[in-house]
Amino acid sequence: MFRTISNLAALRFGRTDVQNHVIDELLAGRLDRRSFLRHGSRVGLSMALMAAAMKTVGFDPIGSALAQSGTPGGTIRVALIAPSGIIDPVTVADQYGLLVLQQVGDFLVLDGPDLVLQPMLATEWSPNDDGTVWTFKLRDDVKFHDGRTMTADDVVASIERLADPDNGSNALSAFKGVLSKGGTKKVDDHTVAFHLDAPNGNFPYYLSSDNYNAIILPADYAGNFEAEMNATGPFKLEKYTPKVGATFVKNPDYWGGEPKLDRVELSFYADQQPQVLALLGGQVDVVQQVTVQGSQSLFNNPAVKILELRSNAHRQIHMKCQSGPFADKRVRQAMALTLDRPRLIQGLFRGMADIGNDSPFAPVFPSTDPTVEQRAKNIEKAKQLMAEAGTSGFDTTFTTMSIQELPALASLIKNAAAEIGINVTLKIEDPGAYYGSAVPGKSDWLDSEFGMTDYGHRGIPNVFLTAPLKSDGTWNGANFQNAEYDKLVEAYVAALDLDAQKDAAGKIQRLLLDETPIIFPYFYNWLTATAPNVAGVQPTAMGQLFLKDATVG
Amino acid sequence: MGSPFGRFLLRRLGLSLLTLWLVSVVVFLGAQVLPGDPGRAVLGPLADARAVAALNKELGADRPPVEVYVSWVGGMLQGDLGQSYAYRSPVAPFVGDALLKSLKLVGVIFLIVVPLGVGAGVIAALNAGKPLDRVLSVASLSLTVIPEFVSAIALILVFAVILRWLPLSASWPAGAGPLVQLEHLILPALPLVVVLFGYIARMARAGTVEALSSDYTRTAILKGLPWRTVLTRHVLRNALVPTITVIAAQTGYALGGLVVVETLFRYQGIGNLVLSAAKAKDFAMLQAGILTIGAFFIVATLIADCITVMLNPRLRAELGR
Repeated sequence: MFRTISNLAALRFGRTDVQNHVIDELLAGRLDRRSFLRHGSRVGLSMALMAAAMKTVGFDPIGSALAQSGTPGGTIRVALIAPSGIIDPVTVADQYGLLVLQQVGDFLVLDGPDLVLQPMLATEWSPNDDGTVWTFKLRDDVKFHDGRTMTADDVVASIERLADPDNGSNALSAFKGVLSKGGTKKVDDHTVAFHLDAPNGNFPYYLSSDNYNAIILPADYAGNFEAEMNATGPFKLEKYTPKVGATFVKNPDYWGGEPKLDRVELSFYADQQPQVLALLGGQVDVVQQVTVQGSQSLFNNPAVKILELRSNAHRQIHMKCQSGPFADKRVRQAMALTLDRPRLIQGLFRGMADIGNDSPFAPVFPSTDPTVEQRAKNIEKAKQLMAEAGTSGFDTTFTTMSIQELPALASLIKNAAAEIGINVTLKIEDPGAYYGSAVPGKSDWLDSEFGMTDYGHRGIPNVFLTAPLKSDGTWNGANFQNAEYDKLVEAYVAALDLDAQKDAAGKIQRLLLDETPIIFPYFYNWLTATAPNVAGVQPTAMGQLFLKDATVG
Repeated sequence: MGSPFGRFLLRRLGLSLLTLWLVSVVVFLGAQVLPGDPGRAVLGPLADARAVAALNKELGADRPPVEVYVSWVGGMLQGDLGQSYAYRSPVAPFVGDALLKSLKLVGVIFLIVVPLGVGAGVIAALNAGKPLDRVLSVASLSLTVIPEFVSAIALILVFAVILRWLPLSASWPAGAGPLVQLEHLILPALPLVVVLFGYIARMARAGTVEALSSDYTRTAILKGLPWRTVLTRHVLRNALVPTITVIAAQTGYALGGLVVVETLFRYQGIGNLVLSAAKAKDFAMLQAGILTIGAFFIVATLIADCITVMLNPRLRAELGR
């Protein structure tokens, strides 16, 4: 024990209070291996330090899950849907464009598949005492594809470009209320400080691969990214043809070591089905994303490997809280009680999803309080709640989009609602029509009384907690107004240590379960399909595919 | 252009331009009904409103719709198809590339289906009422009702996934020669061949049967012309007029209506160009794509009309009057 303590004392030296707190939590047995990694990485403890700390308390050091065998060289052929427009790091807003960006570019921080932050272009990061200023140290050995060395100036320019409201930046909504233009400052050539709008305990996630626009570009980047795609990533552009595809060659000078593959070939498709057929026909090696609904022929097929990642991608079923039949929270609770969630997961996802409990706190988030009771189907209780609310049923319209399993889920919701006398008419439309102009009054998404929206995976729940649920949230289709909730969310966002985060999370989960402005039925897993001879492909649930260590055959 | 035929052509061309202008107005009005705006389409529903406004301003999509249309028409009159909102570059290369690809695919389709369809129709007519006729009629009819997306998937599974004889993707590797391109286009052409075969065969059969039972054919036979001459000079020449009209009409459809085939076979033709432009509210791209399809349709019909006129002495005489 003495040895352990002295080891840890050595590790603590030079760490901030917040960082030492995480080490204390590990030592006190209040953090398991995974939570320690995640929270340690968030406050800027290095992987090497965390491995040493875990060794002292008897945990396995960081696993070598990515150690792969396979022949180096060759070309990997990846199928994906065609990006919807120009590939510009500032405006890319779909999971296809971001895959292109990420082949050639790097982030300051990598949010790995297990939501543990890993250093990328930044080596370490730490907050000040209240989490309003975060300081990042940069690698000094990073070169752009054109041979220039990356410095703090490039990082400042890249992040400022995204935070500038005059730029049509897709990252602006993520940075809103977190980081404004002018907040990113160079400290020295390899140090950058971020001065935030408000305390934020999870800020490194905003600069990680989660914020897929935030690849670091040269300071003098002036548009026309497609011509050169000059960034710092493991692959360099060979040829890009809009609507058709792109090829890349390995970057032998990559700071992270030479990639194993010689080339990467991205082929754009218009739909999922032809990608599945191309994989079965041996014409591609990887399909970026497959869904259970669209790829039945791939499952239990020995000619295909499915890489499955737990994620927090989900569907939100909103009910208007201020007016109409759902204004009484007992009606909303009753509606939520009609769903048989385990069966939905089995039927729609072959079990490849986590159950939802009507809050954004998915089981994958370490701050989620697992002691909150899980809501389960209970028609008797639902009928009783309806009676208490003084209604025996009503007519309503359920509005959603014709993508993936949403229409199937909509029909199941219609049937479930009928069990308690709610007569649902389905309105299933094209995503363009559903989102409309994305402002209240001109959007079925935000205007519908009862509807369903899809949300992609995020590294942290902050956006899910604020935009669709806070009183002033821009995507608040449920019109949920609750001052207590707003305060709890602010506390959660600002919390630097895990205890405070968990505490706020548990309160938020219980409040939302009681109010039920939104039903969260499940969080579905991210699925990537590969040929059997492919190894070392590392997907994220954002849609990225890290191919540096991939091999084919 | 003093000849009657020249005047006919001139009048038709004038009408075609009017039609195209009307089409552009309809596309313009239709685009106003589509919800959202280009900036929103690029950045998605979750983007910040300030970013959307900034992007729309950068793209010039924040101008009043009529102004956008008028400046687009102005550009068109000077031969400028406009700028794509989604790709932030001129529309012309995209449309040119997609049109070329669509024409190649349509070319392969008709290269296969016209001889097959006409041949089957004529053979059926010559054997009218006999078992061969019945087999051909039933076969062509049943093939016509198979939708492309069903036959396409069946063909892919058999020839590309199981047998692996033909490439699955219609997109050939860069720099491929005509033969490799053809190899990539055979499989994508087949679903349309299946659909069109029945149409063409039935038209050819009906026309041939009618011509065979006509007075002029009987006269030709009775005056002792060899059967081959009767068939080529009298029967087919008359029988194939309606078939040519059908083929021309189908060419226009095949050019723009191949979205399903283009999607399944990963081919960047003009059908998909129009579809994605509509999704992205990419005004100039949408206009250019639809007008290209419209222009092609008009040209195909015009060519069909000219052939009809040339094959039919009575129509030629009417034009002369």
